[in-house]
Amino acid sequence: MNVFTEVLSPTFLLRDALYTSVVIGLACPVIGVFLVLRRMVFMGVALPQLSSTGVALALSLHALGHIHVEHGGLDEHSLAFVGALTFSILAVTALAFFEQRHVAWNEARVGAAYVLSAAASLLLLAKCPTAERGWLNLFKGEIIAISNSDLKLTVGTLAAVVFVLWIFRKEIILVSYDRELALTLRKRVFGWNLLLYLLIGLAISVAVIAVGPLVTFGFLLLPPMAVRPFAGTMRQFVVAASVLGGVVSVAGFVLAYQWDLPVGPTDVALLGIVCGVGHGVQWLRSRALSSR
Amino acid sequence: MTDTPTDSPWARLTEASVGYDGKAVLAGLTLALRRGEFTAVVGENGSGKTTLLKTLAGILPVVAGRVELTGTGGTLPVIGYVPQRDSLDAVWPLSAYEVALMGTYGRLAIGRTFTDAERRLTRECLAQTGAADLERKPFSVLSGGQKQRVLIARALATVPEVLLLDEPTAGIDPEATRAVMELLSRLHHERPLTILMVNHDLPLARRHATEVLRVADGQVRFESVGDLEGRR
Repeated sequence: MNVFTEVLSPTFLLRDALYTSVVIGLACPVIGVFLVLRRMVFMGVALPQLSSTGVALALSLHALGHIHVEHGGLDEHSLAFVGALTFSILAVTALAFFEQRHVAWNEARVGAAYVLSAAASLLLLAKCPTAERGWLNLFKGEIIAISNSDLKLTVGTLAAVVFVLWIFRKEIILVSYDRELALTLRKRVFGWNLLLYLLIGLAISVAVIAVGPLVTFGFLLLPPMAVRPFAGTMRQFVVAASVLGGVVSVAGFVLAYQWDLPVGPTDVALLGIVCGVGHGVQWLRSRALSSR
Repeated sequence: MTDTPTDSPWARLTEASVGYDGKAVLAGLTLALRRGEFTAVVGENGSGKTTLLKTLAGILPVVAGRVELTGTGGTLPVIGYVPQRDSLDAVWPLSAYEVALMGTYGRLAIGRTFTDAERRLTRECLAQTGAADLERKPFSVLSGGQKQRVLIARALATVPEVLLLDEPTAGIDPEATRAVMELLSRLHHERPLTILMVNHDLPLARRHATEVLRVADGQVRFESVGDLEGRR
């Protein structure tokens, strides 16, 4: 209990890391809901990886002297953000284009993009130890290294993404659930899909910069998976996934602090346990119903 | 705005080719679909019935030729579309009411939420299709016949001039099939509503439709309802 009160104290040394973790815990599941419902989970794995390749490229170019960071201009972190965002936006635009054209093998393309970008990241960083250290910290989910500027960037961007999703939820749900109905109602399906993908890309870029691809993907996927069997409406689904993400981010932080573990993997492991318990309860419930 | 005569066609196809990805499934179609009819589109599986329906609904672009749609006000007609119910993913946690409410989205401005009038209309449509008691239930757990009622309510919530249905009785039991077809006949007579329904059940088409459009061997032609009797 002492650790819990210490972590939640406003004077807690790592409070920026905690707040960032909570914001990501609350916001990523809201975006993840659309990845799960649109059956684009693999995209949820590939996009953080592509973002981190963008980071690797930006850091390598910087370390090799191809990009000069001037005083008062972009710092290394902003450079990483630009790299992540560029790669995410290129990827989601390509996805929207392929979807519009009904290009076959879309899933295979996403898989190929994932594996190629992972290889590209490792190759880029192989000859660049300085960049490699920064990238590896990011990849491991070293949340405690988060600065106040990271916190502000994460809060501002994710709040904007969730706000836009909320404002246009009607249109985004329509084109996601029943594209054909949307077309008969003369909605701009390509435009709404592109908006959704851009929001997903933006959120993932920011989350990857703050907590790395592992934690980002964990919070995108696992909370929606854990609560889906218990949600009867979209509102229940989104709210429950977000609340679960927020609660786990605090609990994970406390546990990691107490047992001196890395925060990111602790969060993901905790989410995995919650997910397993949720599915166990669902299994027992369906067995009880079928035996009646 | 000019009023369109009520006996004028709502859809006119001139040398039209319909298909997917630029490849024609049916080519050289020239026909007019009259307002106020209950048209059954019949034909074998894979003959192009659904492709024709989706082109008329604006879901597929016309591959070649012209497809002109005219509403009563001279503008594009409002279309109520009922897809094959299995095309909707059961993973979505939507109640029957939420699904039916989607029919009103076409009238709502971007980013605006529903008014009380839209909510009331949706409930009336659910009541009209006998689905009022289903509104709180998850759509994914409903039976085939119940889903069809909710999807027809959703199409009615668009306040349509034309109702387009893709195999509304496929895979549902005879009792539910009878109920759905009686509901469609009632809507056709009472509203009155122009209906175009894809169906491969010939006796059913004969019993309820006022005209039949047969799709076979890449050709489309009207048959009188009585002609179907001889084919049974």
